[in-house]
Order: sequence, then C-alpha cells, then structure tokens
Amino acid sequence: MNPLATESVRPRETARREQAENIYLPRIAVLDRVVQEIQDVKTFYWHFDDPGEQRAFKRFLPGQFAEVSLFGVGEFPTSLPPSPTEEETFFTVRHVGSCTSALHQLRPGDKFAVRGPYGNGFPMEDYHGKNLVFVAGGIGLIPLRSAIVYALANRKQYERIQIFHGAKTPKELMYVPNLREWEQTPGVECHLTVDRSADSWSGNVGVVGSLFKKPGVQVPVENTVAFVCGPPIMFRFVIKDLLGMGFQERNIVSTLERYMKCGVGKCGHCCIGVAYVCVDGPVFTYEQIKKLGEDI
Amino acid sequence: MKARILDRADALKIVDLLRQQGYEVIAPFRGRGRDTFFETVTDQNRDQVQLHLPNPYYPPKRYVFPHIERLLTVKRDNGDIRIQPSYEEPKRAIFGIRSCDVAGIYHLDRFYLGRDFKDIYYENHRKNLFLVNFVCSDPANDIGDECFCVCADTGPAARDHFDLQLMDLGDEFMAVAGTRAGEALFTNPIFKKATEAHVAKRHAILDQVRKAFKTTTSWFSATVRYVSQGEILDKTWEEIGNRCLECGGCTYVCPACTCFTVSDRQVGPNEIERVRMWDSCGLGGFTRMAGGFNPRRAVHDRRNRRFFRKLAHYFIQRELSMACVGCGRCAAVCHGDIGMPSVVEMIRRATAEVEKRESVSH
Ligand SMILES: Cc1cc2nc3c(=O)[nH]c(=O)nc-3n(C[C@H](O)[C@H](O)[C@H](O)COP(=O)(O)OP(=O)(O)OC[C@H]3O[C@@H](n4cnc5c(N)ncnc54)[C@H](O)[C@@H]3O)c2cc1C
Ligand code: SF4
Ligand code: FES
Repeated sequence: MNPLATESVRPRETARREQAENIYLPRIAVLDRVVQEIQDVKTFYWHFDDPGEQRAFKRFLPGQFAEVSLFGVGEFPTSLPPSPTEEETFFTVRHVGSCTSALHQLRPGDKFAVRGPYGNGFPMEDYHGKNLVFVAGGIGLIPLRSAIVYALANRKQYERIQIFHGAKTPKELMYVPNLREWEQTPGVECHLTVDRSADSWSGNVGVVGSLFKKPGVQVPVENTVAFVCGPPIMFRFVIKDLLGMGFQERNIVSTLERYMKCGVGKCGHCCIGVAYVCVDGPVFTYEQIKKLGEDI
Repeated sequence: MKARILDRADALKIVDLLRQQGYEVIAPFRGRGRDTFFETVTDQNRDQVQLHLPNPYYPPKRYVFPHIERLLTVKRDNGDIRIQPSYEEPKRAIFGIRSCDVAGIYHLDRFYLGRDFKDIYYENHRKNLFLVNFVCSDPANDIGDECFCVCADTGPAARDHFDLQLMDLGDEFMAVAGTRAGEALFTNPIFKKATEAHVAKRHAILDQVRKAFKTTTSWFSATVRYVSQGEILDKTWEEIGNRCLECGGCTYVCPACTCFTVSDRQVGPNEIERVRMWDSCGLGGFTRMAGGFNPRRAVHDRRNRRFFRKLAHYFIQRELSMACVGCGRCAAVCHGDIGMPSVVEMIRRATAEVEKRESVSH
C-alpha cells in the first residue's frame, strides 16, 4: 500500500493515459505569441503542429505539467496554467537558467517541442460541493490559475470561491487581466496584497496571510480545500495561518517542485521520501508533504 | 522446469549454438588478477570464455540500459524541426550471467516496463535478450568476500527469470530451461537426459555452496522494517554520510540502480542528439534546482536517499522486487565501507540498541 494513497490526492485516469509508444518523444509545437507578465516572466501561447496531438493534450487536468524541449539546450518541466476549459494552450515561465532563457528567446512562429501532460493534477471532481480557497504567492499563481479558471467554468459544482494573491510590488502581480476579471466576477472573492506599496497602489500592503485578517474577509474552514502555492517562506507562513484557523492538514493541497528530468517516473531525480514527484505528484496534500520529510 | 545434462567440454557449444542463431553473445573473461569483464564473444576469444571467475564489477546491466544511450536525433532545416527517435533492437545473449545479476535485470524489468509508463528503449534492448545463468558453485572463484545473495534471496541458484541455467556438477553440467526459448535448445544432441542422481547431486552441491559464503551477511528484514517505519535516527544517517566520499561508485556498479540524466549534444551544424546516461543520487548536483536551492544539501541526506530507496517497504512492494540483489559490488568498491551490508548492519545495530533501551524503560 502506498503510505500516501490513503488521502485525497489520487493519480487520475487521464494522468495514466497510455502514452503513445515512446514516453521520451516530444512533439513539435509552434509558438503563437508572447506576453510579458512581470519582469523575467513571460506567457508563451503555443499549439502543437499536429491537430491530433493538440486534441489529445487538451485532456489535461489543472495541476498537471508538461516537459518543454529546447533542442540543443535541454528539457524542463513547467506547469500548465490554462484550464482545459479554455481554448488556448500556454506556459508561463520565469527566466532562470539555460532552458528557460532559450524559451524566452523564441519568437512567434518558432518551433520547439512539448510532451505531456504529466503528473496527478488537482482532483477537482473530488472537490465538488466544497469551498475553494486559493492562496498564491508570486509565480505560485501559475499552477493555481488552471484550477481557478476550471472552478469558475464549473461554478455550480463549488460553494464559495476565494482567491488570495500576493506579490512583492504591484508590478509583480501575476495575470493582471485575470485578476481584474475575478475581482468583478459575482460569487468570487478576490483579494490582492503587496509587500511593498507604490504610490499608485490603493490596495492592501502586507504578506498574503495578512489578507485573512482583513476586515470583511472570512475564510471558511469547514468543508473547504485550501490550495497553497508560492515560495518556501510564504508557504510555511500560510500553512501556519491555515492550521491556526483550524484547517486540517489533509484539506490543504499544494504542488511540489523538484528537479526533474524525465517526468515519467524513470530518471529518479524527483524522488523524495516514498514519492516520485513527477508521477505521484506534483499535487500533494500538506499531510503527505509532511510525511515526505524533505524541505519544501 | 525441464533439466538436461551435458558434458563439461560441451558447455561452450551453447555459445556456438547461440551465435549460429544470430545472437551477439556476451560472456565473462578474465583480465589480470581480480579483473574480470563481460565482452562480446568472437571467433578469436571464444576459447578464453570462463565460467568460474569473480563476477565482473561492471555489471551486465549495460546490455539493457547502456551507460550512454541516444534517445533522439533532431535536425533543423530552415526553421523546421525533425525529430527522429533512435531505436536499437539487438539480438543478444548473456552467457554466464550470475544469479544476482539475473535478479538485477528482473528488477530493471519491473521498474522500466512496469507501472504507468513503459520505457521503449529499455524494452528494445530487453525483448531479444537471452539469459544463460551460471550457478555459483566454486567458493574459491565464484563467491567473493562481499557476496550476500543468500540474504537477498537471489542465489546462489536463480529460481527464475533466466532462459537457460547451467550448473557445474563436476564432470558434467546440468542445464535447466526457464523459458520456451531455453527449452528449444534441448533438441541439440549435446543435451542428454538428467537422472534422479543428477538432481540429488545438484541439491548436495547447493547445500555445500550455501555454507561456503564468506563473512558478509545482510539482515534485510529488520532493516526494511526500521527504514519503512522511519525509526532510524538522524545520527545514524549522519554516520553513514560522513563516510561517503561522493564518488558515485556504488551506483555505477549496481545492477539494480536505475537513475539517469538526459543531455543534448551538438553532433553537426544543424543536428543535435539527446542522450541519457547513468546518474548517481550520491552526487551533489543530483537534486539541485535552478536558483541553487537543493533539498538534499547534506551528503548524509543523499546516502539516506540511496538506502531508503532500496530498502523502504513501499518501493519493494511497488516493484514487487527489491532494488538490492546481494551482489556485493558496492561493498567491494566503496572506500568508506558503506556498501549495502555495512549500512544494513549499522542501521540494525543502532536501531536495535534504541529499541532495546525503549522497551526497558517502558
Ligand atoms: C512540476 C513543475 C512545474 C513547474 N512549473 C513552472 C512554471 O510554471 N513556470 C516556471 O517558470 N517554472 C516552473 N518550474 C520550474 C522550472 O522547471 C525550472 O525553472 C526550470 O527547469 C529551470 O531550467 P533552466 O534550464 O532554465 O535552468 P538550469 O539551472 O540551467 O537548469 C538545468 C536543468 O535543471 C533542471 N531544473 C532546474 N531547476 C529546476 C526546478 N526548479 N524544477 C525542476 N527542474 C529543474 C531542468 O531539468 C534543467 O534541464 C516547474 C518545475 C516543476 C518541477
Ligand atoms: S546495492 Fe550493492 S549489493 Fe545491492 S545490488 Fe546494488 S551493488 Fe549489489
Ligand atoms: S522526473 Fe524523472 S523520475 Fe520524476
């Protein structure tokens, strides 16, 4: 028995979808357009050259990821920020090293390659009838964007939906057009904050957790799943806040980032505790993360 | 399983038979001193093939999982990209593979071909592989100081996962077929009927051989329990880690280690190839991520990882096979004496000590 399997995050059927023959063979993709999100972070809209591939890929789940190939440089894992309910496929990637900078240099029309989707994803159907609380620090909003858009597209399935997003400065808020839209959407509570304010900023100043205590904000604890993604320090503080409010460890979910090479459970690089993060994750409950026993 | 008898002098005729059938036959040879190695049999070296010799340190794993292997070739042409996977499907036989290494290949089968994703490169190397297992029966030559297959329950005579098994009964060899392909060889006149007496002799020799194992033992069961239940003190992992020189040798010689890394290399002006190569969890960069954050910073964390991965009950169940087959290679090559048997012993002692103290104080 997988000691992690008793809790709510199970690998899903689609994640196990029989990969056509060669699991290491990426398919050609074409870059459509690039949008600068914040400094060093861009969103890359792309599609597979082969429409059949595109259709097959579109069955991904929120929380899954893909492997992106920049030939001659390498391959890297990246989350899927779009919801499968959306038309376009895209990645949002921060420029950090060799592969990511090669992607940043591509221009519309350029070709690269993608394989996936991989990983377990958020079990969104298991959450039907629950409140969803999304807490994202910085680029932690990338993996959560998919789940948020998916939840909004299936709005009737969920109770309350709350979004908390924090960034260092107003300039570093992610997916601003989406944030504006969510702020206007009835039935969605979207709260933003920044660590340091600029003159033009009239919103909250403080860490993400400070939003929980803001007047008028009431985070439901019963029958709620909290999604938490962000830098390690933010993660630790938010977990502390949530546990303090009475959240159960198994009702907090996150995605783990580990050095990955293959994404399909073979190369061993992502193995921590009893999990191969690429196939058993990247989505884990906090209860599971604690059992895995490594740094976040 | 069907058994036959053949004359000692006819053993190498099996190599000839396989070569006639179009197999590239790999067999063990002796260099100087302890040095032994697997090599392709040719007309020139055929008579130098040896069966009784120390098991080569460089395991036969590379015939199913090459040290460096090309996955894809990618050609660029006017902005277009063409991806060409490279498939190699050799028809190979390994003659004289030891029981521990047969178990090693079985473990790799479970790992690369089992679960959600199947590794087609591994499968291509594996599907035409014919294994002629040789039972270790000569304590002076076959069984090293570090061998502990008896504790890993993989030897000295493999019970399955071979095509043909040979065992030295003195003047004669016993041949046991493990698969239809193995049995098909029995139509050759070198194979004669085995009698009850031959079977009795086999048992008698195996009884003797089991007693001839040297000092190395590995009490897995208690250790698997300690590891799986997280009962091992950080101090114990630290002691183990302090002795690791981070050479990666243990993973390099291990017939059951599976990790690899992937790298692209330029092979022409508009052509690159993507290769995978063996990697080691013992090396510092194994888990390092962009930005320098490394969740397994300390060396004892990495040692912990290798042994945890091999000994945790969950992984043994997941593959239905343990990632240690008792070959003793890591024990032989480790400068810090933290091969599997030593680690099992260190864990067992330290943890048993704690358990004892706790049960007294309760
Ligand atoms: C499941 C998952 C989802 C991710 N989602 C995103 C995302 O949506 N947006 C984004 O900007 N980044 C994301 N990352 C991190 C991203 O994969 C790394 O920033 C990227 O691999 C760095 O590669 P590089 O070649 O530019 O850096 P280099 O430092 O040059 O890295 C070299 C190699 O290290 C590996 N590597 C380095 N850092 C990481 C890391 N943090 N995680 C995994 N492998 C790494 C890569 O395989 C790469 O080939 C994600 C990582 C994982 C595991
Ligand atoms: S861990 Fe050591 S003894 Fe066990 S199979 Fe690997 S090299 Fe052999
Ligand atoms: S990334 Fe290769 S095993 Fe997980």
